[in-house]
Amino acid sequence: MANANMNSLNEMKPLERAAAMAKGETIDRLPCNPNVANGVARVYGCRISEFNSDAKTLAAAQIASYRHFGYDSVRIFTDLFTWCEAMGSQVYFPDDATADLAKPAISDIKDIGKLEPADPYKDGRLPVHLEAMKYLIDEVGHEVGCSGGVVGPFTNSFFLLGVDETLKLISKNPEAVHALCRVSLQTCKNFAEAVINAGLTPTISEPMSSCTVVSPKTFREFSAPYLQELVDFIKSRGKGVIMHICGKTNHIWTDIAAMGVNGFSIDNVASLTDCKHAIGHQVRILGNIDPGGIVYCGTPWDVRLGTLQGIAECYDSPKGYTPMSGCSLPVETPLANIQAMMDTVRDVGYPVRPEKLDVMIADCKKQMGML
Amino acid sequence: MKNQEELLVALSDCVLNMEDETVGEVAQEYIDNGYPALDGIVNGLVVGMQGAAELYEQEEYFIPELLICSDAMYNGLEVLRPHLDKCESQKKKKIVIGVVEGDTHDIGKNLVRIMLEAAGYEMYDLGRDVVLQRFIDKTKEIDADIIAMSTLMSTTMPAMGKVIEMLEAEGIRDRVKVIIGGAPISLAFAQKIGADGYSASAVEAVKLVDRLLATETSKFEA
Repeated sequence: MANANMNSLNEMKPLERAAAMAKGETIDRLPCNPNVANGVARVYGCRISEFNSDAKTLAAAQIASYRHFGYDSVRIFTDLFTWCEAMGSQVYFPDDATADLAKPAISDIKDIGKLEPADPYKDGRLPVHLEAMKYLIDEVGHEVGCSGGVVGPFTNSFFLLGVDETLKLISKNPEAVHALCRVSLQTCKNFAEAVINAGLTPTISEPMSSCTVVSPKTFREFSAPYLQELVDFIKSRGKGVIMHICGKTNHIWTDIAAMGVNGFSIDNVASLTDCKHAIGHQVRILGNIDPGGIVYCGTPWDVRLGTLQGIAECYDSPKGYTPMSGCSLPVETPLANIQAMMDTVRDVGYPVRPEKLDVMIADCKKQMGML
Repeated sequence: MKNQEELLVALSDCVLNMEDETVGEVAQEYIDNGYPALDGIVNGLVVGMQGAAELYEQEEYFIPELLICSDAMYNGLEVLRPHLDKCESQKKKKIVIGVVEGDTHDIGKNLVRIMLEAAGYEMYDLGRDVVLQRFIDKTKEIDADIIAMSTLMSTTMPAMGKVIEMLEAEGIRDRVKVIIGGAPISLAFAQKIGADGYSASAVEAVKLVDRLLATETSKFEA
């Protein structure tokens, strides 16, 4: 395997690539985002808990991983619970693993009125994230797209009152769920505004909206109105929106596209081909190489095959395609597998030629003893 | 007065239609009429829960609906269980279930527990964020037939392989079947760590356990 830094040395910088692509000019390869997440701690050599209080380390780890692999997007985002924590929930911080919800902010629906939108400059770890974003954009903002992750309002609501409790309220007390979403939305908007003011672009993660969790009807009634408002707000500030929803999403693709998002990132249980046919003419599609089964568990050859197959399915999507993992990669994902995803996209080059892809896929299968 | 058949249908419908607040009264009426509790569970509540699971597979029901159905089932069980004959509640196969250390998400695990309980297995729920040694200790203590582990977070997947290694070190690996599940888990991962089975859904988990315990000689199942 060639040295990562050497690989990216002669490449276009991600922002050059994006600008050329937008103008329909020649580019060197498809953009690619393996979605390394907290695994950047393994590239940089620090403990994940350092991200909770040390903005410099959080930014430095993201930068180190970006420089190592040369992928096309860097994001400050550590876990789903940063926003509920800023509103009073308690979060459990393992020494060297991803944080988790320990105790919701309230335990009784009568306390919903006591919840207040978070102040991104004061509450919880939000100031740490914002400070890290500033380091990030100062150091690499001239060459790569920098984003600040924010959880969607519907998902955040579940972490304020507890997941099971809130799920039951959907049918038992719809107004309470709306109240939780409303106060969450304000937190999301406050944070998104701070991200934009720092010069970065907010990206939205909305996992609880997945069709694996709630029905499309529930999504439309409880999540979509608030999500739309967040999307509109970000767009009104001149930023495009990339959104990720885990799990199955096929029944809500047209809703997402109609919201006016620029890119939608799908999980490995959703189909790239179906997604392309449904909304590829409206939004850029990102995804969906299996982060657990292939990138974490597999060999570099497995990753190469998965990446090639994703490109073969989606390279001709009208609004574009970015090879990406279906969700954040596990922290202990072998670095060689992340490298394999980047190398594969480099080997495919641009423009993508289907006959070359066929040969590469066949060769890959041969190497793996599948043919 | 309703006959037994009508009341069984009513019990089933309460679970299927998410009537968690009325199921208790129906269960009480069923007992007051002198009908056997076991029938009420197996041919009433459990039938309703199976119906709910089918609606989930057909994407008619989703997690919020299933949670209320399961609340209804438990509310009914609470009334019926004290009336079970002792011999009826014995000789069930035993399953230890839990979310492995490092993960506190338990919606999926709870659904699997509910479905297995509905299917007649005796469940020992260790909860979430379970220290790995507890899987081993509980398995030895109750002589479990199955260990079921889940995780939602890919970060904690390796812990599952560790439990299997610990079973081997204790020399009891061949006495218990290990099944795993959860969003990031795949058949490939299950095979890699040497589990006996993997299931992608709560409904499939019941079929998997049925198969594993019916055919003790079977190889890997999924």
